Amino acid sequence: MAGLSAGVVKKGLIRGREWPIHVLLVVTILVVGFPVLYAALISTQTNGEVFSFQLTPGSALASNFNDVWVVRDFGTNMWNSTQQAIYVTIGKTILSLMAGLAFVYFKFRGKWIVFFFVLVTLMMPTEVMILAMFRLVSGFGWQDTMLALTVPFLASATGAFLFRQHFANMPVELLEAAQIDGATPLQFLRRVLVPLSWNVIGALAVIQFVYTWNMYLWPRLIIRQQSSQVVQVGLQTLQNIDGGLTYGPLMLAAIIASIPPVIVFILLQKPFMSGFALGQEK
Amino acid sequence: MLIPALTVAALFGAAYMAFAVGHRTPARVAIGAGTATLGAAAPPLALGRCTFAAESTSVDHVLTYALMAGGAWLALIVTRAVFDARDGTREAAGSSMGGEIRSGGFRLGWWVPWALLAPTLAILAVFLYTPAVQTFTLSTKLARLGAPRTVDVCLTNFSELLIQDPTRLVLYPLLAVGAVYGARFWMRRTEPGTWNHRFAEVASVAAMLSVFVALYAIFSPGGDGTVKYRPVYVNTVIISVGIVAFGMTAGLAVAYLAFQKVKGATMYRTLLIWPYAISPAVAGILFFMLLDPTAGIISNGLKEWFGIRMPNYRESALLAQAAIIMASGWKILGYNVLFYLAGLQTVSVDQVEAAVLDGASPWQRFVHIVMPALSPITFFLLVTNLTYAFFEVFATIDYMTKGAPAGATSVSIYEIVRVGVDNGDLGRGAAQSVLLFAAVIGVTLWQFRTSGKRVSYGGG
Amino acid sequence: MSKLRYLALVAVFAIVAAACSSGGTTDTTAASGGGSDGGGSDAPIEIGMWIAFSDEARLGFTKDRAKEFNELHPEYNVVVQEFDSYNTVFEQAVLAVDSGEPPAIIHFFEAATRQALDAVDASGNPVFKSVTEAVAGRDAILGEPVVLDDVVDAARNYYTVEGSFYSQPWNTSSAIMFSNTDMLKAAGVDKIPATWGEVEAACEKIMAMDDAPKACITWPNHSWFVEQSLGQQGELLANNDNGRSGRATEVFLTSDGMIDYISWWKDMADKGYYIYTGAQRDWDGTSNAFQAQEVAMLVYSSSDTTALTEAGDANGFTVEASFMPYNEAKSYEGNLIGGATLWLLNGLDEKTQDGALAFLQFFNNPENAAEWHKITGYIPITKSAEKLLDDEGWYEQSPNSKVASDQLAAAKDTPATRGALLGNFVSIRDVITIAIEDILVNDLDVADRMAQANEEANKLLSEYEQLFGG
Repeated sequence: MAGLSAGVVKKGLIRGREWPIHVLLVVTILVVGFPVLYAALISTQTNGEVFSFQLTPGSALASNFNDVWVVRDFGTNMWNSTQQAIYVTIGKTILSLMAGLAFVYFKFRGKWIVFFFVLVTLMMPTEVMILAMFRLVSGFGWQDTMLALTVPFLASATGAFLFRQHFANMPVELLEAAQIDGATPLQFLRRVLVPLSWNVIGALAVIQFVYTWNMYLWPRLIIRQQSSQVVQVGLQTLQNIDGGLTYGPLMLAAIIASIPPVIVFILLQKPFMSGFALGQEK
Repeated sequence: MLIPALTVAALFGAAYMAFAVGHRTPARVAIGAGTATLGAAAPPLALGRCTFAAESTSVDHVLTYALMAGGAWLALIVTRAVFDARDGTREAAGSSMGGEIRSGGFRLGWWVPWALLAPTLAILAVFLYTPAVQTFTLSTKLARLGAPRTVDVCLTNFSELLIQDPTRLVLYPLLAVGAVYGARFWMRRTEPGTWNHRFAEVASVAAMLSVFVALYAIFSPGGDGTVKYRPVYVNTVIISVGIVAFGMTAGLAVAYLAFQKVKGATMYRTLLIWPYAISPAVAGILFFMLLDPTAGIISNGLKEWFGIRMPNYRESALLAQAAIIMASGWKILGYNVLFYLAGLQTVSVDQVEAAVLDGASPWQRFVHIVMPALSPITFFLLVTNLTYAFFEVFATIDYMTKGAPAGATSVSIYEIVRVGVDNGDLGRGAAQSVLLFAAVIGVTLWQFRTSGKRVSYGGG
Repeated sequence: MSKLRYLALVAVFAIVAAACSSGGTTDTTAASGGGSDGGGSDAPIEIGMWIAFSDEARLGFTKDRAKEFNELHPEYNVVVQEFDSYNTVFEQAVLAVDSGEPPAIIHFFEAATRQALDAVDASGNPVFKSVTEAVAGRDAILGEPVVLDDVVDAARNYYTVEGSFYSQPWNTSSAIMFSNTDMLKAAGVDKIPATWGEVEAACEKIMAMDDAPKACITWPNHSWFVEQSLGQQGELLANNDNGRSGRATEVFLTSDGMIDYISWWKDMADKGYYIYTGAQRDWDGTSNAFQAQEVAMLVYSSSDTTALTEAGDANGFTVEASFMPYNEAKSYEGNLIGGATLWLLNGLDEKTQDGALAFLQFFNNPENAAEWHKITGYIPITKSAEKLLDDEGWYEQSPNSKVASDQLAAAKDTPATRGALLGNFVSIRDVITIAIEDILVNDLDVADRMAQANEEANKLLSEYEQLFGG
């Protein structure tokens, strides 16, 4: 947020003392964080403790963890989600870079048709055709496989256009220099474009990782074996460990399931913001 | 019935070309008539003319005419665009669409760009276009998971979602469309800044709302062998509007607060935007816990501390919807804060400064300087939040209420899965998918229209 | 860019046209299925088994038995795959048959019986094979004695279709009532209520207490309880003797028994005696309300007898099981079973099929059936298992466990108590629970709403007959 010239508007858009703002911010943060803090409390308790409305940490963190990790083998679900998110993030980044390259640095017949073919998919979210897709992918025999969780999501108009836009704003001299050096398109991509695009790549990576990790409807339909299931759907089986709803393990698992995307998001926050700002201004 | 309808389409096409577009040469008028006829003929022919079969109902006929009108309209728009392009009113398609072709570009074999694009195109073709086509096919069938055969049912899966009164079915949408065009006409005829223009603006908002009312009126309230789709429509509107309104208002408020240059601002910001990374499913679980009537802190707290017995939110339609809106609004808050923070950077510091010197109140500064500067971001967020509310909300609902009580939280996407997968009724599920598809296309076109250039990339 | 949207429209339009023109013929994609490849001579033959239980007790039991069987018969490897609900396993099996590789043994709930019988693969062959036919009169398979003839009457009556067992009965329960007797006593109710009237009277006392619970009674809004009540009142859910003397072609959702039961239910809710947890098929929520002592009585599946009795101990109250309350205005005809059976895939090679059959018999042998009963509360599925438990003195030690078996044994054998065989039964059950939810939440007229449900259900049934019927 260095864009603000310091000294002119010292306190941003609201004027006044600083401490009320601190108080308000802290209160807001607590309100926003409350659902998770409460879940953390419950994750330490037995059902009995939950029913008796105990507001101090309970006695069951270890046994809840055992329920989640050992009894329900939640680690397998975590691993599946990790693989899925990584494959999709990497795959989509590569395919999008290639598409961006083709769009910006090549002239070819029928380009506008291709562009258009990709553009139209912006208004074709998977969800509206979920039943047909379910039938189609089941027909491939891909139920319960990583293929079903990744391949359909490897390409998107979003990614292709993001790089198209980004490349289009790069100086023409880059290409000319590369051509003089006799670089192939892939070399040009790897040595020139990618190093200049880390912010955009980072931004896209955050979006894709979080999006993929948080995917729910599709795996709920196409994955049927618990051992192939992803975390968001795997949480379902934690609702009932042995008769009745078990709150503690469910809350614990919900927290565990949220750790990877939150970490990725916080780590890549900077490129995410700048990558977006770049995209936004154009 | 087909021939008279096509004649009307041909005449309309000719008239449109001649008077609305102003191409009066015989060739162009004839082409207008021809494309309109083709556009109108396409839907009934694609359906194998089943809508005119003996057992079809008047509702089927109304639907067919609506499709034919839509087809003719599309055909004319395309024709007009092609003529415009030919007449050189805009640059050649290739350069504006394919993106900025850099001077020269790589001069390699013709296949090189195709090879680079091939994986993307293949995946889009197989996993987006194919299922899209199949969704339409499926929507005209009686089909069940695992059934040995399917039965063609023409438009029944659609017509049973509507009221069975052809008069009202025609009247309400026409009135709404008439209102929209009327208001637009009025807007054009009045000078901006005059009271008349302001009235026209109010009228055009009212006309937009009348479209929603008309849709409400034509969806079936149940009975007569129809599918009770009106409540699904109402739930979808309430929950979507609720999420967008709550999520964006709260997002702007929090962003405004977090934008202050105080010590530790970066830290504060991080602590406010992390819910972006939380999944809709986990949001559902967290709020399920908070609001649980037996064990949650809200009902227990109210009982223990204030002696109030909270009604079970899952028993009241209003509370259940509010709970879904709350959970989703919370989840999407981080996203909205993030973008509003980015947007606030574009607010002109000089203007704010000048306004302060002029003695403008904080509220005035907010309304007259900040809000207008944020309008592009607001618009972008409106579309992405709406997309969230249409689709991602599924997981939250699945964990919190499963559509209960009495279907009060069963929004469009939830209903599609309930009907198509949980009940295995693929045809009806596909028909409802087509409706949702239409809604998405509507929102996207509105987005293109309003924002011209911006391309959104919220995920997917 | 401004013209782009026109072109977008063209493309969408093209899709619509292409989609519609490809219509007309049907398309059922399918690959050939087969549970196991039975290939190599040394590697054990894999026998897949899909079950709808993912909780530790029931899944663990199944996996343990599979392990024991694999040790006894090293030439086989039974692999258990769990799913989170009956509906899921049903959906997934339907899909697997259509396109993938279905396992040798699939666990279907009672409501899927008709569709399992009707299921055919792409080439028109039945997907499942009758267990009786596969056993072909043998007394033992690979040394495992066949237990089919030993199955208790209630389960035998329900699952006998076209004269013999099509599927192997396994987990079988009935709807019974659990009472928090401490709470009943505190309210001055000494005898556990047995009829609708008695329940109402008891509830009046309970809710009049100073420290009255949130409500008096609850049960899940599951069509199964409606079906149970129809059985008690001796009324049919569907024509052709509940679909047992011929295919059912009509359902009766407006029968007197139906209206009376739902009216009583609504009445109890209106008085604040019955509490609706706000979700259909909410087994967890209702069970929790009972465990948290928010209600005094719970009508539930006997499948959780053991867990509920123990939960009472853990939370400091006494749980007593009793028959499901009935309508005293009518003669009591009897309750029916619930639960699920194990279906055998058709077209397995002989060796695999025998392995699957042997496992099914082993799985339900007296010792295993008795153990299964003890850890859950499902009834002992065979008479020998019952006897074994009796000899052990198990019933004296845990009287709650006997209630379900007694209730089923007390039922007369009529089409009403045998329960219905229906196509689209799962969806029809949905229609029933949605209607009830509507009635409870939106305060609708019972007869009107059920008339509407009746119309919907009959439409579903006739559509099923169009797609699956002869």
